[in-house]
Amino acid sequence: MREVDLYRHTDTVNELLARYGVKFGIYKNNEFKEQLFPFDAIPRVIGQEEFSYLEKGLKQRVLALNQFICDIYGAKQIIRDKVVPEEFVYLSSGYLAQCEGVMPSKGVYTHIAGIDLVQGKNREWYILEDNLRVPSGASYPMIARELCRRSSPRTFQDNHVEDNRNYAQLLRAAMDHVNTGGHTVILTPGRYNAAYFEHSYLAEQTGAHLVTGSELTVENDHLYFMDYSGRKEPVGAVYRRISDEYLDPMNFNRESVIGIPHIYDIYRKGNVALLNAPGNGVADDKGIYYFVPKMIRYYLGEEPILQNAPTYLPFYEEDMAYVLEHFDRLVLKDVAEAGGYGVVFGSGMTAQRKAEFLALLKKEPRRFIAQEVIDFLDIDIMEGQDRVPRKADLRAFVLLGEEPMVWKSGLTRFSRDPDSFIVNSSQGGGFKDTWVLSQ
Amino acid sequence: MGIISVENADRLYWLGRYSERVYTTIRLFAKSFDDMIDSYLDSYAEFCKNLDIPNIYTSRDNFIERYCFDETDPNSIYSNLKRAYDNGVVLREEIGSETVSYIQLAVYELQRARESQAPLVELQRVIDNILAFWGIVDDSIDSENVRNIIKVGKRVERLDLYGRLHMSREEMQREVNRLAGRIPRTCLRYREDNLKVLSQIVSDPVIDYCSIVQKVDDLLEE
Repeated sequence: MREVDLYRHTDTVNELLARYGVKFGIYKNNEFKEQLFPFDAIPRVIGQEEFSYLEKGLKQRVLALNQFICDIYGAKQIIRDKVVPEEFVYLSSGYLAQCEGVMPSKGVYTHIAGIDLVQGKNREWYILEDNLRVPSGASYPMIARELCRRSSPRTFQDNHVEDNRNYAQLLRAAMDHVNTGGHTVILTPGRYNAAYFEHSYLAEQTGAHLVTGSELTVENDHLYFMDYSGRKEPVGAVYRRISDEYLDPMNFNRESVIGIPHIYDIYRKGNVALLNAPGNGVADDKGIYYFVPKMIRYYLGEEPILQNAPTYLPFYEEDMAYVLEHFDRLVLKDVAEAGGYGVVFGSGMTAQRKAEFLALLKKEPRRFIAQEVIDFLDIDIMEGQDRVPRKADLRAFVLLGEEPMVWKSGLTRFSRDPDSFIVNSSQGGGFKDTWVLSQ
Repeated sequence: MGIISVENADRLYWLGRYSERVYTTIRLFAKSFDDMIDSYLDSYAEFCKNLDIPNIYTSRDNFIERYCFDETDPNSIYSNLKRAYDNGVVLREEIGSETVSYIQLAVYELQRARESQAPLVELQRVIDNILAFWGIVDDSIDSENVRNIIKVGKRVERLDLYGRLHMSREEMQREVNRLAGRIPRTCLRYREDNLKVLSQIVSDPVIDYCSIVQKVDDLLEE
């Protein structure tokens, strides 16, 4: 790679990001605040050949996960064949009994998958998490690339980088593929959602209409958007950015005021597509993660291309024994938590905290997974005029239309704290562009 | 997709109104600020009276600080700009990121003005960004309906403010004509009778400014 002029323009890019309101919302002391998402101009760079390997592995993984969800809400063959224990399915908070027997438009459940990976110091990639409900973050590198090109055209003259600004086209293709006839909309909980910028930016870029639940209505088994002159326009696809339980008060959480009554009934009848499909949470549960390599072998008859981080399920006696013996070198994750919460490092606990945690672990072994702490490959960020190493992960986006499509970029998040592995924006992390080299 | 929800029509209208309110009140404030530097220190009382806002201010300096920057004062420039921002930021897919950015930039400039010893310099930049916002509304929003709703908001607000300020007949007539030419080009429901009365009032030998404010505020149907 040639010298990168862009590094000198971090402040310019951040000023432009502020100009365009590239923010995320956060609640502090019960007050809503909008915060800028700090951008670092040193990109994560992935070579063409390396990305090709990742692309194959990601497609394979998402196809298997899609088949798994289809199977769980259908024939349940993987449970009958004892590849995945039924406890892990039915006790998962993401499993929804309402989804039993429901087949979404074109059989697609995982329209947009956000797969979190890290690269170890041994240069091996490991999958950390599969996000199959409402994964967010693609908008940030997409707009950052636009602004980086504006700030430092020379950088992109000198380096051959795949253009990542096509994410909206990929998303649109995934939405159009399953549309049952009518407009495509993006359903947002509203302005005070943490990812509202992303909702509005993706609506702008895809040409979909951004709506809240109150603007949609179900009538005669179809979904309509109501305009201000009283006209009703049919809607065929809803990219919903609200979670399953709030989607439809008649079928899920009765107290939801942001959902659309009866939308799930017409989805069940095949009269509207919902992206992602309700019930996907059963497959991105941290406990189910352990079984994904087995799913790949089971459904596709292939060896997994990408590996999981070494993971142990205390649910199994053998794994529990290992966890107890090696507790101090493991990271433990509460399967019900997300966003970097519910993650504890064995080495960081006081004796009393450790004793309490072990008691809880023995009482609720299904609730936790344990993983070896991967020695991440650090990535440099600019801190003032200095380059300093920080932990970073990569969220890759796979969209499922006619075929799986892997976005040639991704969201690289980094920890700004030199002693932390937590990269989440809600916990002070920043982000980088992800370059995939085109030659 | 060429259709606008009730919520977005309302937001577009109020985006027009609040952006105009910020623009016109900053210009008025700039005039009063100049008076207050060395000649007419209490002119803020007259300023409040003209705009029909409560004079809650205790001194010239208190007025300058609170009227411009106090987010708890519902009549402050900051509060009005915040309302313009709150409406604009939820219209990104309707009006575009580039358009929204000028309202965002105006907010940043107002925040800078708060720290300044010479706030009129930064307030001028707020005005520059509002003007750029109106320019880009014309230049880059494809939907004529969207453009027209914003402009109706702007015209209604200007007529309301000009009525309160007892502006000249020529200015009142010009604004009524602009509004009358714009509002039928939207699908907004409005009271045609009010529009006719407004045209009549600005042609009367003595202009009834109170009626102008009432009629314009009651122009749109719920």
